[in-house]
Amino acid sequence: MLRYYLRLSLKSLRRTPGLTALMVCAIALGIAACIVTLTVYHAMSGNPIWWKNNVLYAVTMDSWGADEPHDPQHPTLAPPQLTYTDATALLRSSIPQRKAIMTQMDGMLSGAPGQTVPMQALTRATTKDFFAMFDVPFEYGGAWGGNDLDALPEIVLGKRANDTLFGGTDSVGRTILWNNNRFRVVGVLRDWQPLPRFYDVVDGAFEPPEDAYVPFSWITTLRSVPSGNMDCHTSVAISNYQQLLGSECVWIEMWAQLPSAARRERFRAYVDSYWAAQRRAGRFPRPLNNHLTNVSQWLQVNGVVSSDSRILLRVAFAFLAVCLLNTVGILLTKFLRGAPIVGVRRALGASRRQIFLQHLVEVAVVSIAGGVLGLALGAAGLVGVRAIYAQDSAYGLLAHFDPLGVAWALALAALSTLAAGFYPAWSIGRLPPAGYLRGR
Amino acid sequence: MMSLNVRPVLSALFRNRTGAILVALEIAIALAVMVNAAWIIAQRIQQMERPAGFDVRDTFAIGVAALTSRSDLGAAQREDLAYLRSLPGVIAAAATSSVPLSGYGQGGSISQRPGPRAPSVDERSMQVDESALAALGIRVIAGRAFSATDIQPLSHDIFAGAPAALITQSLARKLFPDGNALGKPIYGGDNNTPMTVVGITNDFMGSVWGSPSYYTVLYPQTPGSFGDYFCLVRTQPGKTEALMRTAQRHLAISNPDRVVIVAQTLEYYHRRLAAENRAVVIFLTLVTALILSVTCLGIFGLTTFNVSTRTRQIGTMRAVGARKRDVVAHFLIENAIVLAIGGLAGCTLALGVGYWLSDQYQLPRLDLRYLAFGLVTLAVIGQLAAWQPARRAAAIPPSVATRTV
Repeated sequence: MLRYYLRLSLKSLRRTPGLTALMVCAIALGIAACIVTLTVYHAMSGNPIWWKNNVLYAVTMDSWGADEPHDPQHPTLAPPQLTYTDATALLRSSIPQRKAIMTQMDGMLSGAPGQTVPMQALTRATTKDFFAMFDVPFEYGGAWGGNDLDALPEIVLGKRANDTLFGGTDSVGRTILWNNNRFRVVGVLRDWQPLPRFYDVVDGAFEPPEDAYVPFSWITTLRSVPSGNMDCHTSVAISNYQQLLGSECVWIEMWAQLPSAARRERFRAYVDSYWAAQRRAGRFPRPLNNHLTNVSQWLQVNGVVSSDSRILLRVAFAFLAVCLLNTVGILLTKFLRGAPIVGVRRALGASRRQIFLQHLVEVAVVSIAGGVLGLALGAAGLVGVRAIYAQDSAYGLLAHFDPLGVAWALALAALSTLAAGFYPAWSIGRLPPAGYLRGR
Repeated sequence: MMSLNVRPVLSALFRNRTGAILVALEIAIALAVMVNAAWIIAQRIQQMERPAGFDVRDTFAIGVAALTSRSDLGAAQREDLAYLRSLPGVIAAAATSSVPLSGYGQGGSISQRPGPRAPSVDERSMQVDESALAALGIRVIAGRAFSATDIQPLSHDIFAGAPAALITQSLARKLFPDGNALGKPIYGGDNNTPMTVVGITNDFMGSVWGSPSYYTVLYPQTPGSFGDYFCLVRTQPGKTEALMRTAQRHLAISNPDRVVIVAQTLEYYHRRLAAENRAVVIFLTLVTALILSVTCLGIFGLTTFNVSTRTRQIGTMRAVGARKRDVVAHFLIENAIVLAIGGLAGCTLALGVGYWLSDQYQLPRLDLRYLAFGLVTLAVIGQLAAWQPARRAAAIPPSVATRTV
């Protein structure tokens, strides 16, 4: 029966090639626009560590000055980063299962065998739990050991750095110079690029991955100035490194792994009591405003998804709606034109259901053709988006056609056209046959 | 005459109301999207057209960072600048602490009074030497530029104030709304040491992050407090790319104590700044054009269908004395009614979307002239789309009325 309906519908579609092409193209364009915007939106709004969403918490504390909030547009938020004083104090707590403080550094790697020119290496200075806490995959070796703020001069290399410096071989145990200081390689990462880079959205959620990871205590030992964002509110001049560490400038991100509500509450109490003690000592003029924020909320409050991508997504869906309305209109008129034939078929014994199904098959043919063409157009559109963003580092990566995107697009195509075709097929099936037979 | 025509049109319209409703809905959505998209596009183009304020063409930047604790960035800078100035084709070379538009740099707040509670303005600052204005092509409007004797030695105090400053015209007006900024003290950094405004420059953008702004301050100081500095090099037209590669190759090996971290033309940063806006403009223009075409096709389809199903009635109309142009008018009036209903719904929708956008995304409120313009555009294009099928209807001969199908 289905094959017969299919033959009928192909015949009917061939009778009006112009209308058929119009319907298929309209559906394809609408779907392509949705695919492009959905893919970018999906990648932006993704949670790259969803399986630990309610386990990992960003730790923030309102250490800002009395005059105005850190972000006057969002007065309820604490600064997204901590001062050195507070970060290292909170790091001493044993309540979190794991915890890490981190900041961004400019680094240079040199001294690899046969290396002539130093390699610029975006570096994360952090503490040892970073890797286990964020499920960072290792190709060789592992994280450094020791205590959080007393680690040996050991370094973890990103995949790109290891490929460049050691040809991708196991470099664990080798010595390398980071900013001209000797570090021993203890681990090499696999390809790892969480998008968005949730753990440091302040320095860019869509930045390329780090090339090197060094123990936090070494940047203070080496007196290296961080290259990431540093916000200061006090009017005290900083003229040496020690003053920077003691200052009210915020420049350190902190994350804690708090798997249970009880642990979370205990850590919150710990943070608050630390805050209260510091306030008594004359710091923190602002009211109590400490937060433990999980990953998805963190991405949200920091506005990682650009408002542009939200607006474009909605425009694309409005466009798809217009395309579908158009298709409904065309199908309706087309089916009504065929009403006399339907009348004959009904008179010869076809049931309403059969007429409905026959027309629905025709709709399905149009929708599949539109969906496939839309998928191709969408893929082309994504190439276009990548070309527009080509100069813009990892941002272009967002426009990659992922399998989930294809599934989304197919579901969207099938759903939307069936929704569009349902009403015309239903209304033609409902027509009384007699009216169209009269006078023949 | 009009009233005579409208009644049969209305009854005809009512017979195929589903089709008419669908097209009216299409028109409504198309109008709402078109008007708001045009509004957003206008804002973005305005943003993209804001001039950088300096010569974006023919200038490149080379960033250099200290590799070893031994490195004397001040000496390295002098050496690098001497080399760059010796290259044939180089017009000017300067050392700065950041590159305008690059997204990396320093900023703070600046005030016309000392003390932590004085009202202040957020600014982006750069430490520069005396050649920076020439390298960037920035003009001094009032006062004077920095001379070599103004330039303070390299300091590792990242908040070190300088005794003098150059500020942009906008910043001068903002800080001193009712007076001349020239020669006045301003306070930044530690907020207690005065710096004298020795000159006012034309507006230009500093190292942008967040939204671009013209509030820029230049300090006469040898850059390097953060362990890096940038050489800005102005070249003769057309030689930028080649000279940048030459300089990059040379500087990479000329001094083992410091390394080249970046080499980029300012044109690149300028392009990158506009990339996001450009993407939005391209997408919105494309989708708006497509929505309009699809809507026109819908109008065309509806009128064509109406003409083809009413062949006999049209024949009868003609047979009882209707002229060709009466038939055309019949279909155009019918289309106009659909357009009016869709347009009315579209206006409500457009205003609602506009309100929602300004509420949700801090966009300025929709300019009503855009709505009026959109309405007129849609009406004209909509009537043009119905024109061809209406003409075809007029061509139907009166004899059709007597024929059986």
